[in-house]
Amino acid sequence: MILRSIATQAFRNLAAEEVAFHEHVNIVVGRNGQGKTNLLEAIYFLATTKSFRTSRVASLFSFGSPSTFVSGQLHRFGVDKMLSVGLETGETKRRALLINGERVPLAVYVNTMSVFAYSAARLDILRGAPEERRRFLDRGIASIDPGYLEAVSRYGRVLRQRNALLASGSASSLAAWDAELIASAAPLQRGRAAYAEALASSFAAIVAEHGYHIQNVSIAYKPSAVDDLARIRRDELRAHMSLVGPQRDVLEFSVDGRPAAEVLSGGEQKMVVLFLKFAKLDLFRRRFDEPAVFLLDDVDAELDLEILEQLLVKLPSRTQVFATSAKERFLRTLEAGPHRRLVIENGRVAATNDLP
Amino acid sequence: MTAPPLANLINELSKLPGVGGKSASRIAYYILKRTTGEAESLANAIADVKAKIFRCSTCNNMTDVEPCAICSDPRRDAGVICVVEEAFNIPTIEQTRDFHGVFHVLLGALSPLKGVGPQDIDVAGLLKRVQSGGVREVIVATNPNVEGEATALYIAQQLHSLEVKTTRLAFGLPVGGDLEYADQVTMSKALEGRREI
Ligand SMILES: [Zn+2]
Repeated sequence: MILRSIATQAFRNLAAEEVAFHEHVNIVVGRNGQGKTNLLEAIYFLATTKSFRTSRVASLFSFGSPSTFVSGQLHRFGVDKMLSVGLETGETKRRALLINGERVPLAVYVNTMSVFAYSAARLDILRGAPEERRRFLDRGIASIDPGYLEAVSRYGRVLRQRNALLASGSASSLAAWDAELIASAAPLQRGRAAYAEALASSFAAIVAEHGYHIQNVSIAYKPSAVDDLARIRRDELRAHMSLVGPQRDVLEFSVDGRPAAEVLSGGEQKMVVLFLKFAKLDLFRRRFDEPAVFLLDDVDAELDLEILEQLLVKLPSRTQVFATSAKERFLRTLEAGPHRRLVIENGRVAATNDLP
Repeated sequence: MTAPPLANLINELSKLPGVGGKSASRIAYYILKRTTGEAESLANAIADVKAKIFRCSTCNNMTDVEPCAICSDPRRDAGVICVVEEAFNIPTIEQTRDFHGVFHVLLGALSPLKGVGPQDIDVAGLLKRVQSGGVREVIVATNPNVEGEATALYIAQQLHSLEVKTTRLAFGLPVGGDLEYADQVTMSKALEGRREI
């Protein structure tokens, strides 16, 4: 798939202008604070309605603006589609998702364009709360299984209902909610187990292939089993909430039994996250036989540029890549083939230059 | 400024489900353009429905006779009870013409978030009907959403010790959907493919 262009309104500091992209490599350069990452974030937002660097959607709005709007022209399966996301801030928080001007539900919208992002902020996958790792897993599964998000939202609703029941102290219908919890947790834990396994093997292959002397990072998915709710009945009634289930699943990155975030250096962690992103890209391509859009934010000296180059070369030739860096020389690996340079100044694309 | 009687009508109409402020205003102006007789017959119909319609003491269906037309129909099989959340779900199943049993309206579905527990819906009435004998099958036709499924599971658990087959509609509807929007063909298939729970 190819993102031909994007247009934003009141999205961070970006100017309300249409930006056209190269179908293969886009190199976004400019001084710090000019809006390089914002442009990549707008692309990610267009595809997912989320940000890759913050969970606070409010920070996406230009200062003082009550709403933000991003639209883009996506080319996929031989046709062009216009995608648009509109979001309101404040109490209303209304969201409009459109494809070719028609409103569509979230589950349909997010399956239209697939994007994967590497950013230093994604080190949260290793360092952040367990929830970050579950979300990392869930987004990966959703990218290859269109029905998965619906299963996630259904489970979330069952969990809220069951927690409300446990909090109310009246447990007369608890057995029914137990059965629903078990039934709705199953597709999540099945999906997570399968994806974690595929991801681990793809990750291991990438590490082996590039001979990166990273210590043995192992990826393990440990589901919080819901099969014996009777055993923890009293604990749950006392805690007034559900104590097991996918909301307590653990995705573990470890080195010799210790958390990877404690053992690995900052640079090594960045490489692990980068490898994980390439593993996700690989699983996506294997599922759909087409490349996803890849965002590479803030390439810096801590990344092994030689390996990055090898990884990029191995991407399917039609993969559209967007990359930023504070130092242009780090992007030299991307400048070998045809590409477009977009120079950002004060939120505006000041110049574009197609090379060679 | 809108004249108070007109504003009042718009206000009342906007409380109806699915009617926003704009539609309420459009309907109000439409009514104003009709003849007095037409407006009165609408007002009378509304007053009538409140005065003459009540719940069937057997099945909770909306009726103007006791018991309701379905419960009192000798051609209906009282050995098969179809359980629905609301009375307005009954026409959805009736339109298939495949169902010849009787109904039981729960008057809601379990929802702890809204404070609705088993005592707030009429499961007790259903159990009483089954315990009084002659019921071979209970078809649970609650909505295929989270609350409807939990309600179905609860009913199945309550009926477990009784000599009755409990079945659930096989929905071709999207998960999380609503019985209300099922067409005749979908509903027929859902009935035909029902499974024991
Ligand atoms: Zn009746």
